[in-house]
Amino acid sequence: MRNVAFGQYYPTDSPIHKLDPRTKLFAGAISIAAAFVADSYWAYLACYAFLFIVILVSKIPVFQVLKTVKSIFAIILISVILNVFFHDEGKVLWAWWKIKITVGGLLYSGQIILRLMFLVLSTSLITLTSTPTELTDGLERFLTPLKYLRFPVHDVAIIMSIALRFIPTLMEETDKITMAQKARGAKFDVGGPLARAKALLPVLIPLFVSAFRRADELAFALDARCYNATEARTKMKVLRFGWRDLTATLCLALFLTVVIFLRLGFFGLL
Amino acid sequence: MSIEIKDLTFVYGARTPYEKKALDNVTFSVNEGESVGLIGMTGSGKSTLLQHINGLIKLKSGQVKVFDIDLSKRKPDLMRLRKHVGMLFQYPEYQLFADTVKADVMFGPINFGMKKPEAEEAAKKAVTLTGLDWEEIKDRSPLELSGGQKRRVAIAGILAYSPDVLILDEPTAGLDPAGKKEMLDLIASLRKTTVSTVITVSHNMDEIAEYCDRVIVLDGGKLIYDTTPEKLFYKEDVSALRLHLPHAVRIVKLLEQKGIVLPHDILTEDALVNALKEYFLKGGDHA
Repeated sequence: MRNVAFGQYYPTDSPIHKLDPRTKLFAGAISIAAAFVADSYWAYLACYAFLFIVILVSKIPVFQVLKTVKSIFAIILISVILNVFFHDEGKVLWAWWKIKITVGGLLYSGQIILRLMFLVLSTSLITLTSTPTELTDGLERFLTPLKYLRFPVHDVAIIMSIALRFIPTLMEETDKITMAQKARGAKFDVGGPLARAKALLPVLIPLFVSAFRRADELAFALDARCYNATEARTKMKVLRFGWRDLTATLCLALFLTVVIFLRLGFFGLL
Repeated sequence: MSIEIKDLTFVYGARTPYEKKALDNVTFSVNEGESVGLIGMTGSGKSTLLQHINGLIKLKSGQVKVFDIDLSKRKPDLMRLRKHVGMLFQYPEYQLFADTVKADVMFGPINFGMKKPEAEEAAKKAVTLTGLDWEEIKDRSPLELSGGQKRRVAIAGILAYSPDVLILDEPTAGLDPAGKKEMLDLIASLRKTTVSTVITVSHNMDEIAEYCDRVIVLDGGKLIYDTTPEKLFYKEDVSALRLHLPHAVRIVKLLEQKGIVLPHDILTEDALVNALKEYFLKGGDHA
């Protein structure tokens, strides 16, 4: 019922949505690698071209994807300010005391913006195209080798999926309690920081009480069905690595190779 | 006129795949002293409608006017609106937060600008109105009360700032039959003494039939009936709405099939018993 949050699952019937979540997690890792390997505007051109094609294939409106950048606006701003003023390289355009604006600094800041945006855009594409359940399933499979180190992979996965499952429920609950207290004349946006924090208590206390109540009920429900996390459980949706995933993996490999070659200057060819 | 709503339309998540029209051109008004029942299936837009009346959702299209507060104007006085319209949410016991019943009931009055001693006096009055013993309960934690008591405390928390209109969202949900009866009797007595205008959401048609003098039915965000309970349950075909008719109405209709014709204004058990007595005393022939 709420307005859609940034990066929340956006259902369409695209081939990207149908990919195995493991492939998408792998793609996320590749994008992060590519963002750090890239060190020239040409490389970023390649990154964004790739990203743009993926967005087109995913059938998600471009502005929905771009909206996710809003969340890191402050981080981008701070890192750009620092780099513009303190990255000392090339011709000096303006100087005061120890602070200088240089051509190199401006160019480097441009790259920082592109890098941060690329990181957020590519990773939010994963959450936009896969449901939380799919992602936990994929993650669980990736972590399976840790079982041999006695790491409780399945327990961690089930904890994650329960946590994810309850985020919307708790959001809804927060909404409801906030409204109920507002109806009783509570004001959340007046006064200094301390007054505002105090004003949140009438929402936080009932929210915690109800979260504990829910946890208790869930535990009873799991017990009542003899839930046992340690034994080999089968999956309702078995993950399959299909031709789509193969194609996607090949595309990703090609993409990363291009970015690496751009860094190495195509062995002197470019 | 207490509440006037005109062409109210509301869409959740506009321009996203989750888009949903919750209210579609709803128009009605509520007069002072009326008891209005609001019915409709889950997702029919009842909650969204109620939230509009309390200024909890920003009005996007249409008009909502409560007393002289016009929500379609820029910057309406929401605090004054909320003081006039007391709203009891579903399962209100889950919104109690303070250490003591006293502090919780005083929360509203203080928010609306009362001084502490004044607020305590108001809280005492409100708690007593709901049938609880103020001296016994005021210093206890709301968390250690029984379900029915918690709900009374929640209602007291609203009555304490003396609203002129009361909005109740399923006030009897989750209570046992005795608790339900007590809650309904409490609401009926409040109507006589403190708040005359009440809007109640309910899924129980017996409650609607007994306690409301007007019913509004929402279906898929549209207002489809605005009539009296007698007309709704006897004249209209409500089978498509998956409503259970009130028991008294069902019995009247069954008797009619057997040839015992009773007047079509019987909505409650008491009325049915009286009508049957009269019918047989007059020596109405039956097979």
